[in-house]
Amino acid sequence: MTAFSYHRPTTLPEAWRLLAAHPGAVLLAGGTDLLVRIRAREIRPPAVVSLRRIPVLAGATVERGGGLRIGAATPVADLLRHPAVVRRYPLLAQALRVMASPQIRNVATLGGNLCNASPCADTAPPLLAYEARVVLERARGRRELPLETFFLGPGETARRPGEILTAVRLPAPPPGARVLFHKQRRVHLDLALASVAVLLQFRGSTCRRARIAAGSVGPTPLRLREVERLIEGRVVTPELAAQAGALAARSVSPIDDLRATAAWRRTIVEVRLRRAILELAGLSPEGGAS
Amino acid sequence: MTARRYIGRAVPRPDAPDKAAGRALYIHDLARPGMLYGKVKFSEHAHARILRIDTSAAERVRGVRAVLTAWNTPELRFGFLRDNLALKRDKVRQFRDEVAAVAAVDPDAAAEAVERIRVEYEPLPGVFSPEEALREGAPLVHETDPQGRPRRDNRVPLRFHHESGDLAAAERASRYVVAGTFSTPRIQQSCMGTAGCIAEFDRRGHLTMWAKTQIPFLAQRDFARALADIGLGDRDVRVVVPTLGGGFGSGLDTHAYEYLAILLAWKTGRPVKIVYTREEEFACLSPRQCAVTRIAQGCDAEGRLTFRRVEVLQDNGAYTSWGATYPSVMMVPVTSLYKVPAVYFDAQLAYTNNTYCQAMRGYGNPEVNWAIESNLDDLARAAGIDPLELRLRNCNEPGEVTPMGLKVGTCGLRECLERTAARLGWRERRAARDGTAGAEPAKRRGIGLASLCHVGGSGRIYRSDASGVVLRLDDFGFVHVLYGGVEMGQGLHSVLTLAVAEALGVRPEKVVIGPTDTANCPWDVGTHASRGAFMACTTVLRAADALRRRIFDLARTVFPAEAEEALRRHRKRNPDDRPPEFDVAAAAARTGAFDLRDGVLFLRDAPPEPWLRLDLARFLRAVHFREGGEMLSAEAFVDPPTQLPDFERGFGNLSAAYAYGTQGAEVEVDLETGEVRVLRLVAVHDVGAVLNAQTLAGQMYGALAQGLGYALYEEVLSEGGRILNPDFRDYKLPTAHEMGMPIELEFVEPNEPAGPFGAKGVGEPGLVPTAPAIANAICDAVGVRLHDLPLRPERVLEALRKRGG
Ligand SMILES: Cc1cc2nc3c(=O)[nH]c(=O)nc-3n(C[C@H](O)[C@H](O)[C@H](O)COP(=O)(O)OP(=O)(O)OC[C@H]3O[C@@H](n4cnc5c(N)ncnc54)[C@H](O)[C@@H]3O)c2cc1C
Repeated sequence: MTAFSYHRPTTLPEAWRLLAAHPGAVLLAGGTDLLVRIRAREIRPPAVVSLRRIPVLAGATVERGGGLRIGAATPVADLLRHPAVVRRYPLLAQALRVMASPQIRNVATLGGNLCNASPCADTAPPLLAYEARVVLERARGRRELPLETFFLGPGETARRPGEILTAVRLPAPPPGARVLFHKQRRVHLDLALASVAVLLQFRGSTCRRARIAAGSVGPTPLRLREVERLIEGRVVTPELAAQAGALAARSVSPIDDLRATAAWRRTIVEVRLRRAILELAGLSPEGGAS
Repeated sequence: MTARRYIGRAVPRPDAPDKAAGRALYIHDLARPGMLYGKVKFSEHAHARILRIDTSAAERVRGVRAVLTAWNTPELRFGFLRDNLALKRDKVRQFRDEVAAVAAVDPDAAAEAVERIRVEYEPLPGVFSPEEALREGAPLVHETDPQGRPRRDNRVPLRFHHESGDLAAAERASRYVVAGTFSTPRIQQSCMGTAGCIAEFDRRGHLTMWAKTQIPFLAQRDFARALADIGLGDRDVRVVVPTLGGGFGSGLDTHAYEYLAILLAWKTGRPVKIVYTREEEFACLSPRQCAVTRIAQGCDAEGRLTFRRVEVLQDNGAYTSWGATYPSVMMVPVTSLYKVPAVYFDAQLAYTNNTYCQAMRGYGNPEVNWAIESNLDDLARAAGIDPLELRLRNCNEPGEVTPMGLKVGTCGLRECLERTAARLGWRERRAARDGTAGAEPAKRRGIGLASLCHVGGSGRIYRSDASGVVLRLDDFGFVHVLYGGVEMGQGLHSVLTLAVAEALGVRPEKVVIGPTDTANCPWDVGTHASRGAFMACTTVLRAADALRRRIFDLARTVFPAEAEEALRRHRKRNPDDRPPEFDVAAAAARTGAFDLRDGVLFLRDAPPEPWLRLDLARFLRAVHFREGGEMLSAEAFVDPPTQLPDFERGFGNLSAAYAYGTQGAEVEVDLETGEVRVLRLVAVHDVGAVLNAQTLAGQMYGALAQGLGYALYEEVLSEGGRILNPDFRDYKLPTAHEMGMPIELEFVEPNEPAGPFGAKGVGEPGLVPTAPAIANAICDAVGVRLHDLPLRPERVLEALRKRGG
């Protein structure tokens, strides 16, 4: 580990002051990504500013209009104990449950997962499916963008210097939506080799609304709009599910790496999406949340 | 023999409370006054000439006390063929080659200094597979041998060969012949405790090494040689073994970091500690060798095996360790698993610019077992014989002498096969051919099994195959045990405790195992070859026997007086009691009069009166505090009746007993994704006799986890000699979740006459046949034969697509 000065502000303005006073300072939430990188000497920040003691960044509250605001520094384990998350956003809860290990979930935060901007971030696909927005604040100014435009590439986000991600805002969940998150792993404790998040709203056997996203199969987590358009307004049949899977496999752009080949990742997206759609449509016992 | 009191029961381990409470002291926890922290600068090339090393910036880092390179230190040569140097001078041959070492007052300063060392290299073309390495004109990894003679190729100069029976005739006479090529990957021992040591010299130049090792005495010899090279040839070396966080074979060699700690301690005059980080452990400590095995086996119309031909090619990496002798153990299953009248075996190792490899649990056996047992299922299929039937028809028998000259004592293989099959529901299930439907349409299930044989009565790989024990009794009735073998998590101390309690006649709570320290313990060749429990119990039985004899001898004179005294006290306390008349002196004079059980010395024929039962502690004090007093202890040193085989001819009775076992698996294969889920594991092992049911089960569960990892997940990936996944993020071990399937263990106990308490060694067998059992189950489920471990879903899917499924 290289030496750095460590700061623990208790308010956002104090945090902004510290960021300004220490050029090259980085933010720390749970530290489960950051400290790994510092320890490996990939980065050598002169100063680390902790977000762990700033009350407004912790916790989740239901907003007027039925949406949910989640403080960026809320640990995953806390979210899994939050009734609104578990009951109203089950797709997110499914992803949180298969993220990392209990020890990591106790400290890892939602904001850290998004700001780290790994293509395999487990919270990203469900948040894309819920059409979440991120709130970025700096000493002078606040902006809000759709999560989809926040991710620019591996490790790259639209966050500007001096900005702190303060909250993630989810619109009210589509009523009666059926959801399924599948994370493809080598063993239980693993990063996603590929993941799909599927949210479908039905009227009878017709799909009214489809929100589909995938992880680890592109430079950023991806929302698969073409696939959504293919299914929306149509009666879900095994043929349609297969078409959706095939289209998804064509729409993603995975790479070969240590963890899996690009070809297999495409197969996984195809198979897992098809099975998820069938299961959500009540057509087959296949698939299942992992 | 009277009924056993402790051996065979399920007893918690003596080291468990401290380990569970975080009190056990691993190398990571140890510190010495004034200690410095060492760190190694590793090569940045797989193969390159070293032109210049600039350490000036490193020397200027605050807190740095020494920076060593080959230019400012004596040359320390080590390794199985002495082809490795603690610090490289002319060239580097692998990414992990040590080019410099630093000692500093804290780890951060040491790391900082290492980063500031600048090395200029001239890169050289490298060889990264044995095939490449053995090609005509390939770049040489070593231009000369350790004696300086030029080398012509990259062959490791070790020959392992065996031929028996008339192979050509047997091949011709075979009705069915099936051949195949099978590969296994490099894998990491993945000890929870990473490697490390502390080296400390006293002012007389004597060296103490706290080392994470499985071979304290061979290490002592290696380090003594290093001292001689430094010019301290007549100094003492003491090796102390702290609590080990796993060994699995990684402690069977001495390592460059240990020599560097010695050099740094010598240079600075301060104790120096080097501990590897997890990433260093992955990238810079030797993994299990990878192997490619070409195999052909044949049988006649009735399914009797006619021949087996096995050729192994191994990537040794840049230097040799003891692991270069894997083929010595491969010979055991190749020649002796099932009855095969004609056998051909040849192994070739090649130097490459990959990381050099070392021992791991199983030591060559899992590599060839993967080929033998997978290929045997293919042969069964070709011959139209059920795989279980084929194995039963060729099953090893008690008393058999195998083509390698192994003298099989007891052999429970038939029972292992039958019990595994019964648990899997084999005969009913296999009647329904080609697997059964899974829970979902795209999934299919199948069952498979595979067996093993392994050394089970120590294994001679060195001039001596010995172990020794000292049992020392104190004034309080405690037995202090000094044993030179290493507890590394496998439960050796638990078995030692039970063996002493049983053989001497004391309660296990009265047994105290001393530290593993070459200064106190008798010599021991090492904790390898599944020999720990076997040799510990063998030596304890002998030492305990000597102690009992001495105790009973002394009791003739001491016991009567003590009994009289006890009777006097008894009468005083119980004035109304009328104890029976008993002539103690006359009884004590008879031969075989005494017995000792649970720490109580008594006369066998005496009435069960309390005053005739003498507490061992009281007896020991009586013996101690008298004229010509005596403290009791006994030492036993046993070199078992094993043979160092002639490996070039592949002949010799390597072990005093042989262990057998069969494992079965039920799997579910996803036809669309290639994923394999193991639904059930069955392991039935011939263990001779159970020593401690709890540690035995622990050994088996742990081994099965490693077997499962070998089968499905684990692989050290490398490219151009660089290790790509030096961490648990991308080196995947099975987790508790993957081990969540039902696991059925069963032990066959033929009571091995050569074994202490009838037992055989069982440290390694549990991971040997797991992979082929799983692959055979996959083949049953979906009809494809897989040849390469690990069975990653991509590979399974590719095989399914090739078959056209
Ligand atoms: C053993 C292990 C297993 C893991 N498994 C998984 C897994 O299964 N799935 C998965 O998705 N991830 C996994 N991770 C990665 C990691 O735990 C997650 O990405 C986690 O959510 C990161 O959150 P954090 O609070 O720890 O982030 P930190 O490490 O504190 O921060 C991560 C990055 O985001 C920045 N940052 C954090 N918060 C803010 C903010 N509010 N505003 C601006 N910038 C900010 C930091 O400066 C840093 O660059 C694993 C990590 C480990 C060590």
